[in-house]
Amino acid sequence: MKAFHPLTFWALFSSLTVGVIAADSAIVALSAVGGAALIVKFYKQDGPWRMSFQWSLLAGLVLIAIRALTGILIGVPRIGEVLFTLPRLSLPSWLPGIRIGGPVTWERLSSSLHEGLIIATVIALFGAANSVTSPHKLLRILPSRVYQLGVTLTIATSVFPQLITSISRIRQAQFLRSGAKPRIGQIAIPLLEESLARAVNLAEAMEARGFGQSKSQSRYRPINYAPRDLFWIGFGFLSATAMVAL
Amino acid sequence: MITFSRVSLIYPHSTTTVIEDLSFEISEGEMVLVMGHTGSGKSSLLRLINGLVPHHTGGILGGEIIVDGYSTRSSKPGELAGIVGIVGQNPLASFVTDTVEDELAFGMESLNYPPDVMRKRIEEALDQVGLAPLRQRNIATLSGGEQQRLAIASALVMHPKVLVLDEPTSALDPIASEEILAILHRLVHDLSVTVVLAEHRLERVIGYVDRILLIEGDGATSIGEPSEILQKTDLVPPIVRLSRALSLDVIGTSTREVRKQSEEIRLTAPDAPRPAFNVGEVSLTFADVVAGYGDKTALNGISLQLHQGEITALMGRNGAGKSSLIKSAVGILSLTSGAISFGSGSSAKNLTGIAQRERSKLIGYIPQEPGDLLYLSTVEEECARSDRDHKLINGTTLASLHQMLPTISAQSHPRDLSEGERLSLVLAIVLAGSPDLLILDEPTRGLDYEAKNRLMALLHERARRDGTCVLMATHDVEIVAEVADRTIFLADGEKVADGSTLEVLLASPAFAPQVAKVMSPRPWLTVGDVLRSQSSSQ
Repeated sequence: MKAFHPLTFWALFSSLTVGVIAADSAIVALSAVGGAALIVKFYKQDGPWRMSFQWSLLAGLVLIAIRALTGILIGVPRIGEVLFTLPRLSLPSWLPGIRIGGPVTWERLSSSLHEGLIIATVIALFGAANSVTSPHKLLRILPSRVYQLGVTLTIATSVFPQLITSISRIRQAQFLRSGAKPRIGQIAIPLLEESLARAVNLAEAMEARGFGQSKSQSRYRPINYAPRDLFWIGFGFLSATAMVAL
Repeated sequence: MITFSRVSLIYPHSTTTVIEDLSFEISEGEMVLVMGHTGSGKSSLLRLINGLVPHHTGGILGGEIIVDGYSTRSSKPGELAGIVGIVGQNPLASFVTDTVEDELAFGMESLNYPPDVMRKRIEEALDQVGLAPLRQRNIATLSGGEQQRLAIASALVMHPKVLVLDEPTSALDPIASEEILAILHRLVHDLSVTVVLAEHRLERVIGYVDRILLIEGDGATSIGEPSEILQKTDLVPPIVRLSRALSLDVIGTSTREVRKQSEEIRLTAPDAPRPAFNVGEVSLTFADVVAGYGDKTALNGISLQLHQGEITALMGRNGAGKSSLIKSAVGILSLTSGAISFGSGSSAKNLTGIAQRERSKLIGYIPQEPGDLLYLSTVEEECARSDRDHKLINGTTLASLHQMLPTISAQSHPRDLSEGERLSLVLAIVLAGSPDLLILDEPTRGLDYEAKNRLMALLHERARRDGTCVLMATHDVEIVAEVADRTIFLADGEKVADGSTLEVLLASPAFAPQVAKVMSPRPWLTVGDVLRSQSSSQ
């Protein structure tokens, strides 16, 4: 299958994000996440980025939990049905208007959860865009003036997945040496040494292959829009309009 | 093509010269092997050719290096990118992009080649290394051999006149390594590319090279025909040891040459079987083990038993399941079904249920990167920690390390050790706990013959004297021939052969050691086997 234009799905998910924020409704947000999940299922790319969507969902859940917790603990009192009352922390007089603890109302809890859900949706949509389009491809279509920056970022990002494999490899080895969970230092020191060696290695390889020699760089395979790219971009735009209108 | 005149090199913050007063010339279309002990400066020498040393590393360069008319003193590595292609020790660490085609385009994009030229050259390079079907693949999903071929191809797209390779076959199985060498051979013969490579496994490359550049321990160097250089050094492949042991007139480097000269012994010497030995009790049992990563099955119903005092080699192509088998035994890969148990008869215990601490006491494990186990700043501290971990008297580990390797300095930093020294340190640490089982994953990578001999002697002693059960995954057929009692072949997660090393290695032409190729059809795998037969005839 020929690849999509790297901007297609970013455009789609950006429009959906705008729609979700404008609509500010839990149902719209949840259906956007559902739609994103379907698109990720069909158009997921190979490579280290494919799990981005799953990770962003997890991050979103953690965020909702944190938002709910802070919503309960800290906040402006709201009138409504009181669910339970927490002991209240007395704050000095120069901190007026902030309250820690006290009665928790249903309204306060649900508005915290709602806010958390919207933010989590935005994160999930961002993760979905990463899952279907490798950031490396996105960097390749940057205008040539910022191309150098793009390549630098590419390198920074490609080292990242390798870092994760190194961490688990070293952790396993240390674990097997003693049978006990390794401490941070036991992993960090070999990892640091390896990462430094790897960075030097990569810089060397790039230099040896002529990187930075010529002021302007040519592109192998320029990327163009195809009809189905336009279909998905249009779809995103229409759904966003619908969300805002409703 | 390449001229070194009176080249000396000294790195910053160092008092010893890496290379001293080295002069030689390499002409177009030559294939030259650089050999020497680990840490003798081979990698430095290779990187001098395109100026990475000293432009990138720092250091003081004396003398002059001219490559295709350019002096590396005034030209930076980037300016030589179209002339010298360099392939590093670990190709994966030097890839910049994430798909095969993008990687090939990277160098040409940097030099602003027009797209139609790029397209043509990428096609050429893909065909030269046989990667055309994989052009769209993500680099992380390629096998070791494919990655090595990609690294060579991304150097070839620049149409270099010189190709420099640092240990191109050290991570590869014998078949993949043959493929790489065949590609290099073709480049030299058809396109007159000059190839300079460093390699420890001489048996793999010796038949291909035109000349050898030998770096000796004291910095002295010599260059010449293989047969001439190999007379002067101890770092010799089995085929040369065979020629020496049989006192042949000419030191041959190819199977054919030595075969011609050794006809007499092949025809007359009687069979002298390898000394028999009785294996001990069952140590480790795999019962119908299935395991994998996600939905990918890595081990597909493996059943086998390992015994005390027996050295077992685990062989197979890259990705056949060797590492997975080892990981499942040490406990980092959980089983989908089946069981692994330790001990024999009624005292056998299932390893799945026991705590990792207890398992680590039973099984000593040397990972592929031995350095992963180390994190302290001196050899002495590492040894002291091992004494504490294993509740030994202070100094025990260090003493056993010194016994293994008297020259090692207790104050040196583990990262500054050579591969062989680091392996010895890790072995001393792991063996200090006197494990019943010793499992090694690819231990000979980057080792010179001396370090390899040390490893073989240690394994043999542990197995025979202490009754340790040894399991070793390796691509190195020569060490298997020398030291393993039994060999198991894996392919695609299944056991395809299991038997005495003699039977298994002789049955597979691709995995036959050098001596066996020379002495075929006689059942001799090592120089020792041949000599035993010879002496039993007298």
